[in-house]
Amino acid sequence: MRTKGYVPYLFLAPALGLFAVFMAYPIIYSFLLSFQTGAGKHMSFTGLSNYHRLFSDELFWTALKNTFAIMVIQVPLMLFLAILLAAGLNSVKHLTGLFRVSFFMPAVTSLVAYSIIFSLMLMGDGIINQFLTAVGAGAVPWLSNPIWAKAALILAMTWRWTGYNMVIYLAAMQNISESLYEAANIDGATRVRQFFSITIPQLKPVILFTAILSTIGTLQLFDEPYTLTKGGPSDATLTIGMYLYQTGFRFYDFGYASTLAYVIVVLIAVLSFIQFKVTGDEE
Amino acid sequence: MMNVSKMSKTVLLLLAASAVLSACGGNKSSNGANAGGGKDENVELTAWAWNVNVGALNDAMDMYKKDHPNVSIKVEDIGRLDVYDKLSTGLAAGGAGLPDIVLVEDDRIQGYVDAFPDSFVNLSDKGFDKKADLFPPFKKELASKDSKFYAFPFDAGPTGMFYRKDIFDKAGVKADSIQTWDDFIAAAKTIKDKTGAFAVPVDKFKDDALFRMMLNELGVYYFDKDGKIDFNNPKVVQALDKIKAMGDAGLVKDVNGWDGTVSATVDGSVATVPFGAWYYGTIIDQAKDTNGKWGVFQLPAFEKGGNRAANLGGSSWMLPSGSKHEDAAYAFVEYFATTDAVQQNAMEKHGLFPSLQSVYKTDLFTKGVDFFGGQPIWKLFGDEVKDIPTPYYTKDYAVALDEAVKTQSDVFNGKKPADALKAAADRLADRTKREVK
Repeated sequence: MRTKGYVPYLFLAPALGLFAVFMAYPIIYSFLLSFQTGAGKHMSFTGLSNYHRLFSDELFWTALKNTFAIMVIQVPLMLFLAILLAAGLNSVKHLTGLFRVSFFMPAVTSLVAYSIIFSLMLMGDGIINQFLTAVGAGAVPWLSNPIWAKAALILAMTWRWTGYNMVIYLAAMQNISESLYEAANIDGATRVRQFFSITIPQLKPVILFTAILSTIGTLQLFDEPYTLTKGGPSDATLTIGMYLYQTGFRFYDFGYASTLAYVIVVLIAVLSFIQFKVTGDEE
Repeated sequence: MMNVSKMSKTVLLLLAASAVLSACGGNKSSNGANAGGGKDENVELTAWAWNVNVGALNDAMDMYKKDHPNVSIKVEDIGRLDVYDKLSTGLAAGGAGLPDIVLVEDDRIQGYVDAFPDSFVNLSDKGFDKKADLFPPFKKELASKDSKFYAFPFDAGPTGMFYRKDIFDKAGVKADSIQTWDDFIAAAKTIKDKTGAFAVPVDKFKDDALFRMMLNELGVYYFDKDGKIDFNNPKVVQALDKIKAMGDAGLVKDVNGWDGTVSATVDGSVATVPFGAWYYGTIIDQAKDTNGKWGVFQLPAFEKGGNRAANLGGSSWMLPSGSKHEDAAYAFVEYFATTDAVQQNAMEKHGLFPSLQSVYKTDLFTKGVDFFGGQPIWKLFGDEVKDIPTPYYTKDYAVALDEAVKTQSDVFNGKKPADALKAAADRLADRTKREVK
């Protein structure tokens, strides 16, 4: 029996409708919005003026610099830790479930709970400083010094997302054929050598995948600076995501906020493209 | 698709959702001519508010209903910042999905009226002007633009120094002897030496409440009357210098956010907490064990005999225009804002300090308060209200606040107040295209 050509589309219609309203419309509308200025009923098209404004907007550059500074340090650090942890856990024979759950837990912890705990731990007379003072290292101004505030964000993000990446690596490691390691053993390769010559190369596509996900995540970074530092002190932890939120909801400039959103889109696209090129995967 | 930022998606989903919702809600028929709802038609008003304000509004409706049985209200208790998010999104979507009545803090009124002209009911056109003299001058100026009212004045926050009598006594310091900020600093040093308690809590890197109180006290603010940036004003510099002096003397307790301020209040690690009158509610709620140990005096002046009145916080009610029940909403909120009994109830039951001046003469405002050792604190606040200078917020207030908080951070991180303020003035000029005075 032959089906009429339009029938499949009838079945697709509800999904397509939802897609149009909740995905396509916002994306298109925010794109149009990025060419407008004003507020409320008084929006007007002003061409590229918002994009122009970016170049002389000091805050935008500060936010961009902060975001990149955090990304460049945090992403490699976290992925490296995750691989180490995964390799370790992959060879643990007992209590594997317990370890995996403990490391993965931060990724599913409620954001509010985690940020409150971190701000309590990191504040002036919080537990971390009490510990540091007790061992004679001296208190660290975690949330009030421009450099330490960035370090605090990196710390918090690493705590939260390392376990998540670890689980992905762990899954990938278990797919690496045992025979490779057996062959290496026969050839007399050490464990360390096996790790760098077998495990890492086999993980390459997965590492690329997590690197891209983490890059995207960091470029959109909003939650941690919002709850821990409010972008301060003095914009030291203002990220593009934070700046976008402030521009839209605190300063009512939805047009410029949309422009910032599209700048993030372009940045993510460019960085992902570069990562694909650098790792040289042609597929 | 996944490349589009999470935030922009959220913003736009809200826009889309509010458009859809408004389309659903638009078919309730009503005739607008039915002012005040004294006739037979039933009117249900919707309002957005937060916290204790919700109770105050519901109580007022119960009282109002006796004469207007056909009017009812549905108050949606939404968090303070969520109200603004929803309001901003609704206004940006051209008024979609907004309630009949919305609570807005005073420092945001001008921003909304400026950014969204015609989006709020002009109360002067409805006849509010003849009631306006019931309110103090600063409140009237905040609620109006170009001498038209856009908000019903509600609560105010005349400031005071809430202090721990037991700590002052232990250090042998008399609150009466503190006239100026210099007196205060000298007294605070004695207290710190003798008891270890800090003078004041300050959220050094995220909020500048003390700075704003001082500015208001000095009759200046971020902007002057003409909307020019006033950060370089010697009085503004003077205020920040004073805060820095307290910091340098080790008198400032560095607290983290609102919770930090409250816990410092409760655990007695600070001897004084300068805040608006509404902080009374927090103290009696959170620090129950300290019953009878508290007192209040007015902010110290910058010079002997100088002004000691200031305001922090306070809110007003606005009516988004285009509602089907504009007149009924107007009639109800006018009743709410200008009736002594309603305001007295809001104060007594919910701790909201009224700006309606006729209430200050009632017993509630003249009697002593047990928690404060029998001190008649409401009389102190009530007397203060008429002397409060008007702060000028403008629509760029939020940006200015952002810069002011950064300036305070810079100062606590070692920069000189005058230099930090000058840099902030320039940044602010760049961001708002306003002139620096």
